[in-house]
Amino acid sequence: MPYCAVGPVKILTIAFLLSLVAGCAPPPDGVVNFGLAARPVTLDPRFATDAVSARLNRLVYRQLVDFDDTYQPVPALARWEKLADRHYRFRLQRHGRDFHNGAHLTAADVKATYDYVLDEQNASPHRGTLGTIERIEVVDDDTVDFFLKEPDLIFPGQLVIGIVPANLIDTGHAFNKLPVGSGPFRFVDWPQEGRLTLQRVPDGQAFRFLYVPDPTVRVLKLLRGELDIIQNDLPPELVRYLAQQDDVTVVRGNGANFSYLGFNLQDPDVGRLDVRQAIAHALDRQAIITHVLGDAARPASALLVPDHWAGHPGLPGYAYDPALSRRLLHDAGYSSERPLALTYKTSSDPFRIRLATIIQSQLADVGIRVALRSYDWGTFYGDIKSGRFQMYSLSWVGIKTPDIFRYVFHSQSVPPGGANRGHLADAGVDGLIEAAETAADTASQAADYRKLQELLYQRLPYVPLWYEDHIVVTRRQVTGYRLAADGNYDGLERVKRTR
Amino acid sequence: MLNISVSRLISALLVMLGVSCLVFFLIHLVPGDPIEVMLGESAQLADREALRHALGLDLPLLTQLVNFFDGLLRLDLGVSLHSRQPVVDILLERVPATAELAVAALAVAVAVAFPLGILAAIRKDTLWDYTSMGVSLLGVSIPNFWLGPMLILLFSLWLGWLPVSGREGLASLVLPALTLGTAMAAILARMIRATLLEVLGEDFIRTARAKGLDERRVIGVHALRNALLPIITLLGLQLGVLLAGAVVTEIVFSWPGVGQVTIDAIQRRDYPLVQAAVLLISFTYVLVNTMTDLVYAWVDPRIRLQEGG
Repeated sequence: MPYCAVGPVKILTIAFLLSLVAGCAPPPDGVVNFGLAARPVTLDPRFATDAVSARLNRLVYRQLVDFDDTYQPVPALARWEKLADRHYRFRLQRHGRDFHNGAHLTAADVKATYDYVLDEQNASPHRGTLGTIERIEVVDDDTVDFFLKEPDLIFPGQLVIGIVPANLIDTGHAFNKLPVGSGPFRFVDWPQEGRLTLQRVPDGQAFRFLYVPDPTVRVLKLLRGELDIIQNDLPPELVRYLAQQDDVTVVRGNGANFSYLGFNLQDPDVGRLDVRQAIAHALDRQAIITHVLGDAARPASALLVPDHWAGHPGLPGYAYDPALSRRLLHDAGYSSERPLALTYKTSSDPFRIRLATIIQSQLADVGIRVALRSYDWGTFYGDIKSGRFQMYSLSWVGIKTPDIFRYVFHSQSVPPGGANRGHLADAGVDGLIEAAETAADTASQAADYRKLQELLYQRLPYVPLWYEDHIVVTRRQVTGYRLAADGNYDGLERVKRTR
Repeated sequence: MLNISVSRLISALLVMLGVSCLVFFLIHLVPGDPIEVMLGESAQLADREALRHALGLDLPLLTQLVNFFDGLLRLDLGVSLHSRQPVVDILLERVPATAELAVAALAVAVAVAFPLGILAAIRKDTLWDYTSMGVSLLGVSIPNFWLGPMLILLFSLWLGWLPVSGREGLASLVLPALTLGTAMAAILARMIRATLLEVLGEDFIRTARAKGLDERRVIGVHALRNALLPIITLLGLQLGVLLAGAVVTEIVFSWPGVGQVTIDAIQRRDYPLVQAAVLLISFTYVLVNTMTDLVYAWVDPRIRLQEGG
């Protein structure tokens, strides 16, 4: 009677396998699935600092001020006027004033949100950027005044925290897990950290944000239809592969993340301007962009992108000229008998190491011997901050306001007081930074920052490399997504998905 | 048996205490600052110091350690520096996923390893043996970060049978369990073969055969039971590794387990979360080891008698 025992087992096994197959088809539910390379940490805008959380929070909450394509602050939830050097008045607009719990957003909610962030007890990481605020006063339901400790021309650009309901702040509501905002998307659920669902308010379209850390798996999920959109954090070879596939569309857009080579200006070799110029002319950035970055970047000449309101579109960039580079090195006293030998530090990220190896090879072509040193991020960053380097490469990410120049290049910003890691001490640079900060209006401020960038271009404390592009890949069924300059997900407001 | 249990529990508590202290100091010694990770490069010094003060990270290290143990006694391990959620909640949310994957992978390993190991032992130096050991060598040599995507390509993309990744239903468990279970099955199969061969040469096996016992009974009851001790040790260790989180497999399959969140926490220098995660992992190891010791004593009466005597 062995068949009696085997029969049901076989049937059960086949049924089990069939159930697996039936249960694994891509979701036919009309939900748009968006692949994330990093986990959102918190949906509380008063605490979010990581890029993914910030981008998701922009969908759920509304902020007083936003930025246009030239990074100029523009009204979002409110328009503003400067009543005095230290007094700004914000008037809430009609649009976007309904919280998802049915309450109406008023000036009291704005004050409560910012008062919470400014309260030292709450340890908000955004408190520091708002340190110039002296006090906030509610004028009426639609109007709120901000009083500053000192004049600040770019102050409105700091008011980018999503507004949360005042009454829920009082009750200690867990916004980090159950967000309540007034943005274009309302929260649905977040059963696992890597699986968040939001719903677009006007039409009820659902969006699922899935955390898929491995880029290859993210691509496979997109090709199989388990994801509809993936954005950034893709190696160039995967982007090239995707560009050849029929089922997906690859779109690139200009980004503003600035990659550079930094130098220790106190070093006897790279502290010399002619050596840094020789390095700049030895680098074939366009070749790296074309062959390594897959054309997903544009050459940089300054820290701010040329289309920034304070950027400088007229800077030509250091041309690839190995002959000139060799001549500069020769004039500086280096030769094949006495070659220039440098140590180049980078992180242990494989792609960064690959780039560093190529730079090493290009510098070798003009006779510069480069020893590469890669470290885990904590050690590398610690070395850079404490000045233990000769040459390194890094990127500035998410720069929107020009106050970065003081932090990076002013002589008083040497670590730990800032990020002037190369110890640049230049009276001309300091003077232009201070002139820009005290300018009467943004037009003259922009002019000062342009002069500053010209001077930095000559002094060359950094060799500007490139601005990395943003890349979005969508399935053919998904249309209408528009890439933002800072890589935010606002394009989802207009996305359509055909079944 | 009670004596063994009590002594094991006391030593387990001491191990966990030692691990907690060690991790506390190590994570603070590692280069990297959670405040810098949170605020980014462009934060001002005053802002960094204000946040450091608010989070209590400017306190002397020993004070922070005392505060940590004070919280531990009240089962309050603090809140994540980044998400501001209680770290216990973050970890507990992930324990089911890790346990699910660990059990499934162990089941795959056992289901594959026992037939393979037994076959290789009883057909020693035959084609069966060479094939079994060749397969197990292959299994132990293939890294998870390669095997995972290959299985995805085959079963998800080409055959379309299983989801690529995520944790949604039983189907999504198959590929990560296969990936994780393969290497473990390979190690286990080799161990089963080696210990079984040793036992099969013993006198009592010859006696059992001489008594005319059926070969299946000789292998299944007499030989295998006596070969179990080292296999149980290995299974216990492997289960401990699995419950600590299989980071590579979790990343490849977007599996929301403990390993992934621990790596994230280390990279972000989220001290409370790292401490809690390591405490959980060491607790798991200690628990599994203690249970293994107790199972030893249960399986082999000689150990029970030695400990008791």
